[in-house]
Amino acid sequence: MADTILVVVEQREGKLSGVSWETLAGAQDMGKKTGWKLEAAVAGHNIGAIAGEVAAKKVAQVYAVDSEKLAVYTPDGFVTALKQLIQRIQPKLVLMPHTYQVRDFAPKLAASFHSALISDCVGFKYEAGKLLFTRLMFQGKFAADVSLAGNGPWFASLQTGAFRADQVEAGASPAPVQKAEAQIADTDIRTRPEQPFKEAKQAVDLTQAQVIVAVGRGIKEQKHVEMAKQLADSLGGEIAASRPICDSGWLPPERQVGSSGQTVAPKLYLALGISGAIQHTVGMKGSRSIIAINKDAEAPIFEIADIAVVGNLFEVVPPLIEEIKKGKA
Amino acid sequence: MIIFRKPIPGVEHPVMESDVTIVGGGPAGLACALRLAQLIDAHNTAHPNASLSKENIYVLEKAREIGQHSLSGALLDPRSMNELLPDWKGEAPIEAEVSREAVYFLTRKWKFKAPVTPPPLRDHGNYVISLNQFAKWLGTKVEETGITVFAGFAGSELLVEDGQVVGVRTDDKGVDKLGEKKANFEPGYDLKSKILILAEGSRGSLTKQLMGRFQLDRDRNPMTYGVGAKELWELSPGRIARGEVIYTMGWPLTAKEYGGAWLYGGKDNVVSLGFVTGLDYPDPRTDPQHVLQSFKQHAFIRGLLEGGKMIRYGAKSLPYGGWWAMPPLAGDGWMIIGDAAGFLNSQRLKGLHLAIKSGMLAGETAFEALLAGKFSAAQLLQFKSRVDSSWVKEELYRVRNFHQGFEGGLLEGFLHAGLQQVTGGRGLWERYPAHAGHKRMRTLIDARGYTEPEQLTGWAKGDGKLTFDKLTDLYHSGTRHEEDQPAHLVISDTNLCNTRCRKEYGNPCQFFCPANVYEMVDASDVPGGKQIHLNPSNCVHCKTCDIMDPYEIITWVPPEGGGGPNYDGM
Repeated sequence: MADTILVVVEQREGKLSGVSWETLAGAQDMGKKTGWKLEAAVAGHNIGAIAGEVAAKKVAQVYAVDSEKLAVYTPDGFVTALKQLIQRIQPKLVLMPHTYQVRDFAPKLAASFHSALISDCVGFKYEAGKLLFTRLMFQGKFAADVSLAGNGPWFASLQTGAFRADQVEAGASPAPVQKAEAQIADTDIRTRPEQPFKEAKQAVDLTQAQVIVAVGRGIKEQKHVEMAKQLADSLGGEIAASRPICDSGWLPPERQVGSSGQTVAPKLYLALGISGAIQHTVGMKGSRSIIAINKDAEAPIFEIADIAVVGNLFEVVPPLIEEIKKGKA
Repeated sequence: MIIFRKPIPGVEHPVMESDVTIVGGGPAGLACALRLAQLIDAHNTAHPNASLSKENIYVLEKAREIGQHSLSGALLDPRSMNELLPDWKGEAPIEAEVSREAVYFLTRKWKFKAPVTPPPLRDHGNYVISLNQFAKWLGTKVEETGITVFAGFAGSELLVEDGQVVGVRTDDKGVDKLGEKKANFEPGYDLKSKILILAEGSRGSLTKQLMGRFQLDRDRNPMTYGVGAKELWELSPGRIARGEVIYTMGWPLTAKEYGGAWLYGGKDNVVSLGFVTGLDYPDPRTDPQHVLQSFKQHAFIRGLLEGGKMIRYGAKSLPYGGWWAMPPLAGDGWMIIGDAAGFLNSQRLKGLHLAIKSGMLAGETAFEALLAGKFSAAQLLQFKSRVDSSWVKEELYRVRNFHQGFEGGLLEGFLHAGLQQVTGGRGLWERYPAHAGHKRMRTLIDARGYTEPEQLTGWAKGDGKLTFDKLTDLYHSGTRHEEDQPAHLVISDTNLCNTRCRKEYGNPCQFFCPANVYEMVDASDVPGGKQIHLNPSNCVHCKTCDIMDPYEIITWVPPEGGGGPNYDGM
C-alpha cells in the first residue's frame, strides 16, 4: 500500500463546497508532516472544470471520477465509484470533509473495505510515526485522540472549521488530471432521488408584523383558531399564540410569543383569551397598543392592556370581524 | 397522548472507562472529588514511582453549569469546610456571618418570640451563603485539580451487569417529543466505573433505581421529606440586618402539618426567605407555594417585606428522615453521599456541612480502594465505618428520632423533642418508627373537617407585589428546557389520574408541584371531563411529585442535560 493520502472533495452542481478546501488544507498539512503523497478525487458527471480547479492546488494528482450515473448523488453510486478508484490506487488514508453527503456514504464505503471511519475530526497529530486524529466527545467538553489499527485503507472525515480554506497552497504547476471512468451498473443503485428539497424560508417573522392577533387557552378548541385567523386577515396581521396553544400543536412553535417563544412589539396586539401570565407578557408588553379580550375581569393581561374588553370572545370577535370588513369596504 | 422519556432500543452507546464517577455536582459530590484529588496529589508527591491518575475521575452534573440547580436556605456550619480547605473563608463567596438570631411562633394574628433561642437553632459561628454561588466556586476548585466536570450531562441509568453496579449511562441528547431521534441525536455515554458515587441530592433518580434494585430500604424507616419554596427579596435598608437569622414555626401551618420558615439577611439588603412544608400533610389540596404566600401575608412578615421586591424563586425537596432512614451507604462498586443518602440534621435544619463531610469520607474511601485496587462491598463499606467513627454519627445519632416525634402533630412533637433532648436523642424508644409521607395524605372525603386550612390549600392568587401566583414565581426561577423532548415526569398510568385520583384525592399533583408542571385540563372525550396535562419544561427538579404522589405512579427521571432552573444567588 502506497503512502498516499487521497482527499475526496465534494462538489454540488459544479461547485466545490467550502469545507472541501478546508479538508484539502488539512491534508496538505498532514502530507507535509507525514511525508506522504497527496492526491485528490472528485466524483460526479462533467466535472472537468472542478478537477482543474483542484489541480491548481499543491497536489500530486487529481482523479475525476466520472459517470453519468453520478450526475445525481446516490450513496450506492458514489460508493461503487469511489471503491473502484481506491482499490486501484491503494491509498493509505482517505480523507473527506464531514458534510451531510459524506455522513451518508462514508460509513458504507469504509465498511466495504472492512475498515473503520474516524468521523468529524477537528485535528490530527503525527507522533513517532503514528497518525492520531482528534475527536470531540461529550459535546465538545472532551477531546480524544484516536489512532487507526490495521493496514488500511483508513478513512477519516474533518469537521467544518477545523482547518482554514484560505491556507490551501497553490501548486507550482497544475497537477495532472486523470479521468477515471466509473463502472456503475443499473442494479448497483437502489435508490431513485427526487428533486432536492429546499426548506422554505420560515413562513413568518412575527417580529416584523405590524398587527398581531394572539390566542390563548380561552379559545377552547382548535377549530376556533380559524376565527382568530379571520380577524388577523381582516386587519392584515399575523396570528400568534401563548404557549399552551403551540404546546397542543394547534399552531406551529414559531408563532409562540413569550419567554420560550418570540419577543414582539407590533403597533397593535390583540390578545384573545390570554390570561397574561408573565411568561407570555414578557414577549409582548412592548407592543404600542394592546387590546385584550377575556371573560375573567381579574386576568392579569388587563393590567397592561390599553383597551380591556371583559367578555366572551366568541360573542365579541365575530361582530368585530364584520365591522372591520364593513369599514374597509 | 403524552410520550414519556424512556431508553431508545437498539442504540449503541460509546463506552468510556472511569475509575471514579461522581453523579451530581453539589456540595457532597464536589467535596468528594476535591478530597479525592487532595489525597491523590499527596500520594503522588510522596510516591512518585507509584502514582495514581486523576484522569479517569469524572463528575457528572445535569445543570448547564455547576450550581445552577443548587438551592438551599442556606446556612453553612463551617466545620467540614474547615477540614476540607482550611483557608476557604478567604476565597469562598460568603453573604454574611450570623450576627443575631430569633425564633418565633406565629398564630394568624400574633407572634411570640422564644425567650431563649433553642440550642439547636443557635447559629453564631455559622455563615449565610448562596448555595449556588458556593457550589459554583467549589466547582472551580475541583476543576483546578484536573478532575473533569461534565456539566450538562445527567446520569440517567445505572449500568448493572450480573447483579453488579458497573457504572452509569448519561442522558441521550436530541430526542423529540415523540421519542424519536432528532438530527442532533447523540446517544448517552456508558461510563464503566470502578466506583460509582451517587451525590444526586434529595430523592436522586439513580439512587432510587439502586434502592429499588437491591432493596436498600429493607429494615429501615421510610425516608420522609419536606419541600422548601424559596424567594429572594431585595428589601428597603434596615429591615433585616446582614447576618440576621429568623426562624418561625406555626402559622400558616396548623398543628397537623410539619414545617416552618426562615429569613436570612445577606449582602446588599438581599434576604433569603422560604418555607419548608413537610411532605406528610393530611389535606391533598395543600400547596407549598401557597403556604409561602400566606406566610408573607402575616403582619410580622409583611412589615419586613413591604416596599421590597421579589427577585428570584425556586423550590427543592429535602430529606428529613434522619439516621434510621438512611440506606446502606456502600456496596459492590458504589457509595451514596449527601442528601441522596439523607445526611441532614432535621433538628438544626442543616445538611450542607454533613453533605460535605460525607463527600470527604467517601473520597477517602475511594482513595483507599484505588490504592488497594479493590472495589467490593467489603472495601467500600469502609465509608460506613468512617461515618460511624466521625462527628457525623455523633451529630445525627443524637437527633435520630427527632422528626418521627412530630408524626402525631406539633404538640406531641414538642414533648418528644424535649424528652429526646434530655435522653441523648432516645426519647421514649431507641428507634421511633416512621411512616412515608404520601401514605399520610388523606382522601378528599377524609380530609374534610379534619383541618380547615384555606391558607394552605388551592392555588395562591397573588397581588403582584407581596404575593405571587405560581406561574409568576416560576418565571423568577429562570427555568428552561428544550421543549421538543419526551416528558421526564413518567406517569405509569395516566388513566388513574383522570379517574380514580380525581375522585379520591382531587389530583394533588396540581397543588404539591411548586412549578405548575401538572395540570388537569378540560377534555370532552374523557369520562370525568378532565385529563392530566404536563408542562415538563416548567420543572424545577425538586422531586416533590416523585415523593408525594399518593399512588406512587410518578417517576422523576432527568430530562435532557442542561435543562432546568437557572438559580442565581439562591
